[in-house]
Amino acid sequence: MNAPAVALEVRNIARNFGGVVALRDVTFSVREGEVVGLIGPNGAGKSTLFEIVSGNIRPSGGRVAYFGRDCTTMASHLRRRAGMCRTFQKVRLFESMTVRQNISVAASQCLPKGRDLGEEVNNILAQMRLEHQAERRPSELTLADRKRVEIGRAIAGHCRLLMLDESLSGLTHDEAEHLIDEIMQLNRARGITVIVVEHVLSVLAAMVQRLVVLHNATVIADGTPSEVAHDPVVIEAYLGTKQKALR
Amino acid sequence: MEAALPESARGGVAKPSSEADARRRRAFIYGLIAFLLVASLPFLPVNNYIIAAVVRALIFISLGQAWNVVAGIGGLLSLGHGVFLGIGCYTTGILFNQYGIPPWLGVWVGAVLSLLVALVMGSMTLRMRGVFFALATVAASLAMVQISRHFVDLTGGADGLALKFFGNSWWAAQSRTPAPFLYASLAFVTLYYWITRWILNSKLGLEMQAVRDDEVAAAAAGVAVFRTKMLGLLVSAAMTALAAGLYMQFYMAIDPEAAFGLSQAIQLQLPALIGGLGTAWGPIIGGAVMIFLSEVTNWGGTKIGVSGVDILVYGLMLLVVVLYAPKGIVGSVLRNAMKGADR
Ligand SMILES: Nc1ncnc2c1ncn2[C@@H]1O[C@H](COP(=O)(O)OP(=O)(O)O)[C@@H](O)[C@H]1O
Ligand SMILES: [Mg+2]
Repeated sequence: MNAPAVALEVRNIARNFGGVVALRDVTFSVREGEVVGLIGPNGAGKSTLFEIVSGNIRPSGGRVAYFGRDCTTMASHLRRRAGMCRTFQKVRLFESMTVRQNISVAASQCLPKGRDLGEEVNNILAQMRLEHQAERRPSELTLADRKRVEIGRAIAGHCRLLMLDESLSGLTHDEAEHLIDEIMQLNRARGITVIVVEHVLSVLAAMVQRLVVLHNATVIADGTPSEVAHDPVVIEAYLGTKQKALR
Repeated sequence: MEAALPESARGGVAKPSSEADARRRRAFIYGLIAFLLVASLPFLPVNNYIIAAVVRALIFISLGQAWNVVAGIGGLLSLGHGVFLGIGCYTTGILFNQYGIPPWLGVWVGAVLSLLVALVMGSMTLRMRGVFFALATVAASLAMVQISRHFVDLTGGADGLALKFFGNSWWAAQSRTPAPFLYASLAFVTLYYWITRWILNSKLGLEMQAVRDDEVAAAAAGVAVFRTKMLGLLVSAAMTALAAGLYMQFYMAIDPEAAFGLSQAIQLQLPALIGGLGTAWGPIIGGAVMIFLSEVTNWGGTKIGVSGVDILVYGLMLLVVVLYAPKGIVGSVLRNAMKGADR
């Protein structure tokens, strides 16, 4: 078998906000089919990295490549149509539209030829267990369901890389377990590569094959969960204070 | 143009409750009754004054519906839609007076010019935050006032432009009585209602609403944000300029203040604001209420020798709506009555 393709390559990414250095010299890559956790304390730059990879903001320096193609300056809606999908740390839905319309508007942008839009939307609704909420508006939903809608909207139509920004936080234990099942199902059934930002490490350890640790705007470790957990630099910089979270 | 979405991809279609069906039917029947009532006015014992007032209402409903497309559905606050009204009126009028080109043709030239101006305005501002677009529409209005005052030979300057009168004439689209305009304006209202309904259910309409709700999320859903805004603006500008052709034939005159002035800009926004932004029924109900109240108060004002009361009434109506029915009559007052129906 051939080695899987590199889905995402982030090289020497830097970003400042005025005097604040949000990211500096961030380099890592994710192979197709992987589930990778991106962890780090609040303010480490995780969300900023997603904003840059998804094209919502431009880096001050560095390159982003998606399946071998440089996309550093590509418009964000074109990245989405190419299958690079994301959620937001604070859920952002189209509040005046129904759940079905939220998913439909995304699906209709990038549905491969020959696939039926209505069918795709129904599939997503079923996959995210939202059939009974389809005609509701987001404001009528629980946080867990709102996060489901956002993931459904993210993957609708065409998705190869899914970037989840704290999609599990704020959920009850059961809700989080269910959502993890669904995410892993997407990874297995649809072959979607997944990057999860999270700070609840215990949940992540169960689902990811690899962890990338961001600290003070840069990558300080990159490896399997157990490698990372035993990395002295990580323990020193970050986990030392949060040993419990990892167990 | 974009294809309509299949039934199953639309909202509210998958499992229509029988109650929503009944409401939808009822809304349609009320609409039909109103339509027939207006259409039969010339055959009822109603004087031309009343018919003219109804024509004014229908014209403002059409213009309001056009503004509703860009502002209500698209969320782009145009404070200077008078630009497109003025371009439509002046183009039709100048082509007719100076070159003898009938308004049937002139109005299309006006629409094309409006599209060009919208294209320039849009490409300069629609990539920036919404406030810049709003400011650009104001700036364009101010510029148009100067331009229309400057080219006196063409526009009549500050005095304005009056159409040469031909009496009853198909060719000149003129009439001594308001009845023909009643049917023309009723056709506009009906057509614009269906256009709005079509947009709301189309792929473009969903994209416009997504952009209105959250631009960043829309881009993350694959929506071409700039293109969507631009299309909404172009559709609205063309609709405004075409309705302006009717406006010009009915009023027979235009001047810089009537076209580009502040009170005109506000009047273009009121039907949708009062009736309900982003709904197809909103501008119809809002425009009817607006003209009815202003006619009544103007009539009352003339009785006691005060003029211009309607502007005051508009202001008060807007205040009441903002305070007590922020989603307009359709969105707040009739919310339950129209739940599930196509608003
Ligand atoms: N739009 C912005 N403007 C100014 N500073 C920002 C902005 N976005 C992020 N930052 C700063 O960048 C740093 C990284 O933030 P963020 O990427 O949100 O971290 P994380 O998601 O890891 O918690 C923080 O110091 C934050 O204050
Ligand atoms: Mg964050």
